[in-house]
Amino acid sequence: MTTRQRLDLLTRAYPRLFPRVELVRLLETQLGHVNALDSWAQRKGINVRARAPKLICHICAGNLAVSARTSLAHGLLLGSHNVVKLPGDREDSTTRREILAFIDHLPAPLRKLVETHREIDTELLHRAEVIVAFGSDTTMKSLRAMIRWDQKFIAHGHAVSLLWLADPNRLTARQALGCAIDVLTYDQLGCLSPQAIYVPPDTDFDSLGRKLANALEAQWQKLANKPARPLSIAARIAEARDVAHALGHRVWLPPGHHLGWTLIHDPDSTFHPSALHGVIYLRHVSEAHLTAALASVAGRISTVGVAGKLAPRLENIFINLGVSRFCAAGKMQFPPLTWHHDGRSSLADLVTWIDSENLE
Amino acid sequence: MPLPHDFAQPAVRRAWGRQLLSPIDEAKWNEMARELFAWQFAQVPAYRRLCVAHKITPENLASWRDIPAVPQQLFKQTLLYAHGSASPAAIYVTSGTSTGQPGRQHLLNTDIYRAVATEGARRAGRFDRETEFHFLTSSPAEAPYSSLSAMFGFWQKASHQTGRRFWVSHEHFEFARLREMLVAQIKTRLPIAICGTAFSFVHLIDAWADLPPLRLPRGSWLLETGGFKGRSREVSKAELYQQMARTFSVRDSAIWNEYGMSELSSQAYAHGAQGLHQTPPWARVLVCHPATGREVGIGKHGLVRWIDLANTDSVLALQTLDLAERTARGFRLIGRLPRTEPRGCSLSAEDLIAAAERSQAQAIRHV
Repeated sequence: MTTRQRLDLLTRAYPRLFPRVELVRLLETQLGHVNALDSWAQRKGINVRARAPKLICHICAGNLAVSARTSLAHGLLLGSHNVVKLPGDREDSTTRREILAFIDHLPAPLRKLVETHREIDTELLHRAEVIVAFGSDTTMKSLRAMIRWDQKFIAHGHAVSLLWLADPNRLTARQALGCAIDVLTYDQLGCLSPQAIYVPPDTDFDSLGRKLANALEAQWQKLANKPARPLSIAARIAEARDVAHALGHRVWLPPGHHLGWTLIHDPDSTFHPSALHGVIYLRHVSEAHLTAALASVAGRISTVGVAGKLAPRLENIFINLGVSRFCAAGKMQFPPLTWHHDGRSSLADLVTWIDSENLE
Repeated sequence: MPLPHDFAQPAVRRAWGRQLLSPIDEAKWNEMARELFAWQFAQVPAYRRLCVAHKITPENLASWRDIPAVPQQLFKQTLLYAHGSASPAAIYVTSGTSTGQPGRQHLLNTDIYRAVATEGARRAGRFDRETEFHFLTSSPAEAPYSSLSAMFGFWQKASHQTGRRFWVSHEHFEFARLREMLVAQIKTRLPIAICGTAFSFVHLIDAWADLPPLRLPRGSWLLETGGFKGRSREVSKAELYQQMARTFSVRDSAIWNEYGMSELSSQAYAHGAQGLHQTPPWARVLVCHPATGREVGIGKHGLVRWIDLANTDSVLALQTLDLAERTARGFRLIGRLPRTEPRGCSLSAEDLIAAAERSQAQAIRHV
């Protein structure tokens, strides 16, 4: 099967997740050509051809299925055999169900290229040419200890994301809704979910809070499948609210105080992870203090969603803090397939290259 | 509504202490809870803000059950002290496991804490001058910020015991010397009480794994408290109790769990691995659902909320993240609320702290 044939099968099965035009762009930008795996291409006088790994092991995180789906799609596009280690820590894992459903709906020729496991199969792990893993830093550390030097290990460990509002006093309804979409998509559980909204110090918080609260409520009401709030999650939301009240922080709550979202203005600019599940902190910081405010997560900031125009000086500060993606507010959770996840070329990282130089 | 008493006054504290230890009926309980709530509402700004957010004030409080509870976490983020700039006689520091920052409980005076911690243990089980006490912790002198060491120190004084009683010194367990002393005391046939954290018992059991069990005299008891996650090998409660019972030749019912915390003055006790926790008359526990803030039904799970009338110097109502089952005659403590949702690649506060602490990790060594 050629790359084009696999691409056709994938995009026909999942036209919205993997649009043809994006898959083509992914292959072209990262491998140079759609046929890079199937035929020689000339590059500056040398014939080159990409070689896909025979076996890729995907270690999936338990929080979201989206990273596993994308990683698996990369492996399928390359025609590799894909071993998927499903999240196995909980019997009722929604993520595992979603990954399995994704695999089940693949066309048969692609499904043949996938096998799933609940536990890590060490024999398969040793045979894999590439291991792509998502999860905690601890998981990455223990996996690294199991992997040989000649295997490729693509580790996606802990990360956080945040929103930056360039001109919060003139935040449009559309931008506010974008922020709400970023916060509430996937119940704020992924590394692309913002855990704080940063604004400049001269912000009118009454007005901004009202706009964001309205947008959060509107977006929450729009969610067809509202995330559950079992005791453990309700406890952490209630705790975040009560702590904020006691500390005298401004708190915006939904009508009837339902547990869908919580907006808190914390005057401390230092980044602190949120309780998630719709708990979002509004923090103000001057340009001069931004580096210090984000020092604890430097090198771990995945995405900065921006409402408005990002000043070049601020952009540089974020880049120096290790930010690997900027996007418009509302798009944080929907990166294009060409996205450099954690700054890496997701597809190009998987392949090796064969060079053929001036053969007689 | 009359102005509440000033709990900084020694005479008021003495009178309050006497009331706590006297019989308390429902009307008296309600009255005392209202009075302490009114005092702390007036004196502790962070608590007042929380109560106002919940629209509860001393004037509109309908029942002690409606008293807003501060999240335990708040002790790690701000000062909750009802005596303004008055110097506290004791500051007890909590572990900083969830945020990396320890919580602080300030006591103007340890008088009320001493009285209720001692009387609570006395009412929970055998506690007399004949009992030989041993504590698997540092002494109060060595650990002045530990409320547990302080409580054990009160017990030592109340039982008029002298000599070596605390068996952790400079972060070293002195199990060999403890064993020598126990072997000698067993011959006297007087009851022995050994009290420590769960993780200290795990270390003790490991240290004595190759030694024969000790046969503690009739009437002896063991008391374990607190968790041990990350501080020793982890064992289930049932397994720990079996091992403790075997190591000291005591029955399961002779093993107590003390459930208390630095942020409170009172403790609840349970006997045996399956025992229900019961509070003394001056403290109550509500098992509440965080979504409603209300008590769950009998047999249902919720979070432990303390109302502690002895906690005069900070806040009487404390909301924990400890999971429990409400029963008709107390509550069954299940443990710390697990973080059930998978975090995956999303960074949590615990992850940030773990990264910072990895290089500082210290293990308590055996001697």
